[in-house]
Parts: sequence; structure tokens; C-alpha cells
Amino acid sequence: MKSMSTVTRYMEACLLAACTLSFSQALALENSECMECHSDETLTKESTDNILQMELTKSLYVDEAAFNRSVHNANGITCVDCHADIEELNWDDDLPHAATLQPVQCVMCHEESAVEFKESVHMAMRTKGITMTCYACHGYHSVKQMASASVSERMDYVCLKCHNPYQSHDWLPSKEAHFANVDCVVCHSPEAPRHTHLRFFDLAGSTYYQTDSLMEKIGVKAKDFMATVDTDKDGAVNRDEFDDLMLRLKLKNIRTVLHAELVAAIDASAHGIVKQGAQKECSQCHCSNSSYFKAVNFVFTDPDGGLVHHEVDRSVLESYYVSHFYLLGGTRIKLLDKIGLIIVACGALVVLGHITIRVLTVPWRRKHSADSE
Amino acid sequence: MSSKENMLYVHPVPVRLWHWINASGFIVLIGTGFQIRYAESIHLMSLNHAITLHNYIGLIVVANYFIWLGFYFSTGKIRIYVPDFPRLIPQIITQVRYYGYGIFKGDPNPHAMTSQNKFNPLQQQAYLAIMIFILPAQIITGIFLWRIAGYEEYINLLGGIKIIDTVHVLLFFFFISFIIVHCYLSTLGSSMLAHFKAMVTGYEEHH
Repeated sequence: MKSMSTVTRYMEACLLAACTLSFSQALALENSECMECHSDETLTKESTDNILQMELTKSLYVDEAAFNRSVHNANGITCVDCHADIEELNWDDDLPHAATLQPVQCVMCHEESAVEFKESVHMAMRTKGITMTCYACHGYHSVKQMASASVSERMDYVCLKCHNPYQSHDWLPSKEAHFANVDCVVCHSPEAPRHTHLRFFDLAGSTYYQTDSLMEKIGVKAKDFMATVDTDKDGAVNRDEFDDLMLRLKLKNIRTVLHAELVAAIDASAHGIVKQGAQKECSQCHCSNSSYFKAVNFVFTDPDGGLVHHEVDRSVLESYYVSHFYLLGGTRIKLLDKIGLIIVACGALVVLGHITIRVLTVPWRRKHSADSE
Repeated sequence: MSSKENMLYVHPVPVRLWHWINASGFIVLIGTGFQIRYAESIHLMSLNHAITLHNYIGLIVVANYFIWLGFYFSTGKIRIYVPDFPRLIPQIITQVRYYGYGIFKGDPNPHAMTSQNKFNPLQQQAYLAIMIFILPAQIITGIFLWRIAGYEEYINLLGGIKIIDTVHVLLFFFFISFIIVHCYLSTLGSSMLAHFKAMVTGYEEHH
């Protein structure tokens, strides 16, 4: 079974190890010690906003529950791993650490992302006096695990904080459909690897299936899903295997279709956002051999927030079960081309046949005409 | 040359206008339709331009459909599309026999055109189905594809965008086939160009 979860977990482990080593000098301060003050919603300080360039009253409150759901907490990163200049807390002082802390150096762990960011339009903004920081997009303490996020979640969480896409895409036909189904990064970071995510949508409940409930209904464990579906054991679900799966779901009275979205992989390359050079050539996507649909995956979310990808053959996108995702040309149903050819050929053959018979029957008509006279 | 007495006024100006706008619109829609569907093989224009042109011409064809609808219903001429039901089946059999046999033998067309009855029963049924069911289906699916997000509710009600596209594409192929047959049948008048001329001048030669 080809699964991204193993890779993801390996990378997470490496990240954790790297961070732990990098910040080995940090004392083993518990998050709970920080939260003694920072759980107070009224805790504020006056500071200068980098983007707005003005004095603001800044909240120092940390939503612990949100932090606990964050990708950093999921990877064991603690407060002082990022706020590395806090070496100790002096509880005898009014303020147990320095009043002004050093900016968090995300690059210490996210070096490759920083390299990509340096080439991005967000870095170029510095020439206009605007400094884009990591947290301007990702937030501070509740940095989400975005790999499993939908297009709308990605847009809401990151891009729409600053951008109104309707103001800058006049050239783009069917804007709403693009914004609903295509991650901004897909076009604005052309080098980022792309996936078409397929999610099971519960028609009865009008919501996406949670992995556990779907597996329970199918009657398999999540880890055995591919072994059950991928009967030829080639590591990908082909069209026949997909049709078998959908038939099995139907027999179990599971009313589902698949919703698809085109998203960028959440890795370093997603930070190389460009404006000039963004993909504007429609035919890159809207053609049957488009590279944008090479990686098609069922997407399941682990209970711990991790993401599991199961490879699917791109021909599955032609299925009527993927009823809400269709790209002109890009995911066209090849069967319709064959039916269309037959329809057009029938018309042409009727005409050609009729002409041929008329030509062949010229002597008959002449004879008939002569007989009549 | 045909004398004026032999000429019958069958195609009023609004009908001819509608017909030729429709014909040219369909040619462009088919061309751009191929470009949109087979962007990797056809390079007549950029996909973006093809979609934009397809949308604009589609809207003209939709508006044009209402010229047809308005004219035929406001004048009551829509009755030329309404079949004479008790005689319909025998008339259809006679007409099919003519196209399938009599025409090769040199028999005259069993349908005698008049301004009140210009379509033979096969034409009448085909045009009625096209104008009341098939073209509206193509228009509605086309409008849905034009503004997918705006009509999402209706699209979902009908089974999703893929169903809508399937209908639109199959009708696209149907219209190509129809135009091929239609153009050929247009050559079967008293002369090869008689029906074409009639659709330009409004007058059809009759005997």
C-alpha cells in the first residue's frame, strides 16, 4: 500500500528531532508554566505592527486549546522551542522573562520553506517597506496542519486574510468555480507538487465522511482499506477497482459521491508564491494529458490529524461518482467522444449513403422518366 | 428562371433572420466547442478566447431563440409545427418511403409545400423536437456551464456538473450530425440551391 502517512510521520519525526537538537539549550520549561500568565485574555502589550507600521495594543493571550490542536503541538514543539531566548522564568520579578523577546525564527526548523519564500512575491514586498512575516499567513500559536485542509479552509486560513481574489482575476472564466475547487498555490507556485484530493461525501448527511465512520460502514479497518480495494495489488486504485468499491458501498446502502479538489502539496515549495509567472495558461489544466492530474488520491484524515493518501488512477476522475468535479477538456469523459463520433458518423453515413444510392440509381430514374413520357 | 406565379412566400423576414443568425452561431459554437474539448489537439485559438467566444455567441443564440419563439407564438404561426395527429403516422410512412425509395425512382415529393404547411411531417416532427426540447436543453445546460457557481443548486439537483456536461456534449454531437443531414436535405429541392435561395429571399419555388 502506497501511503503518504508513513512519509509524513517520518518527516514529522525528523522535524521534531531537529528542533529538539536545535533548542537543546532551552530549559525544559513546561507549557503550563507559560500558560499561568498567557491564559489571561486581558494580557496585552503595546507594540509596532510590522505590516501596518503603527502602534497597536497587542494581545498576549494564548488560546491553549487552539495551540493543543496546532501542528506544532502535534509534533511536540513547546513554547520555548520557538521562544528560544527564554532560558528561564524568574517568578520573583513582575515579568518573569524579558519584556521584549526576539522574533521567533521559524527558519531554524523551516529552512527550505525560507529559501522558497525568499524568491516569492511576499518577500519582494519588502522593497515597498512591507515585511511579510511567517505568522502573517500562518498565525502565531494555532498553526494548522494544512495538508488535509480543503481548498476553502486553505484560502480562509491563509490567502483571504489579505487578498480578495475577485479583484485580480478578471481574465479568469468561471472564477467562482476555480476559487471553490483549486487551491491558490496550485497556480501561484507553479513548481509546487499538486494533488487531486478525492473525499467521500455523504449524500444522506450532506457532509464529508469521517474516516472512522466510513470504514466502519464499509466494514474494514482504515489500515486495511487499500488491501481490500486494490485487488491487483499495484498500489493504486484503478477504474475497475473504484467501480467495485462504489458498488460495494451501494450494496451497503452507503449513499456517497466523491468531491474532488486540486490542491498543492504542503511543503517548502508552497512558499514560493509568485504573481508574475503564475499559471495563466488555461490549456495547462484543461487538456486530457494535463500534468495537473497525475497525482490523484483518496484522502483520509487520521484521528490524530495526520493525512493518509491512497493513490488512485486519474481515469477515476471520469467517473460519474466524481459528480461535482469536471474540467473542460481536463477530465473529460472519453466514452462521450466515442459516442459523439458514432452520432456524427451516423449523420455523415446517412448522407453519403443516400448520395451514393442516388448516383447509382440515375439510370433507373432516366428509365422511369422515359416510361412516364 | 421561375415565374413569379410559381413562387411561394414561405419564410418571413424574422424567420430568415433567426435562421441565419442561428446557423452562423452554431458554426462558431461548434468550432469553439471542439477547441474547448480538444485543447491538446486543436490550436485554432487560445482556450481562454475560445471559452469567451463560445459564451458570447451562446448568449446570442439564446437571444435568437426568443426571436423564434416570439415570432411563432405572437403570430400564431407555431401551428405549422403542430402535426395533424390522425394523419401523422401515414404521412410519416409516405415521407419515409419517398426518401428511402421514391426519390431514387424519380417520384415527386409527396409533400406539397404551402405557406401554411411548409414542413413535411418528418421535418415538422424533427424541428418541433429540436425547438421545444433539444435546443432548450442545450441552452439550459450551456447557461449552467457558463455560471457553474451561480447555478450550483440547480446543477446539484440534476445530479452534478458532470451530468450537465454530458447532456451538453451529447447534444453538441447531435447538432453536428443534424447540420450535416440538414444541409444535405436542403439540396433536395427543385434544384440543388432552391431551398438555400428560399431561405435568403423568402420565396420557394413550387409546382
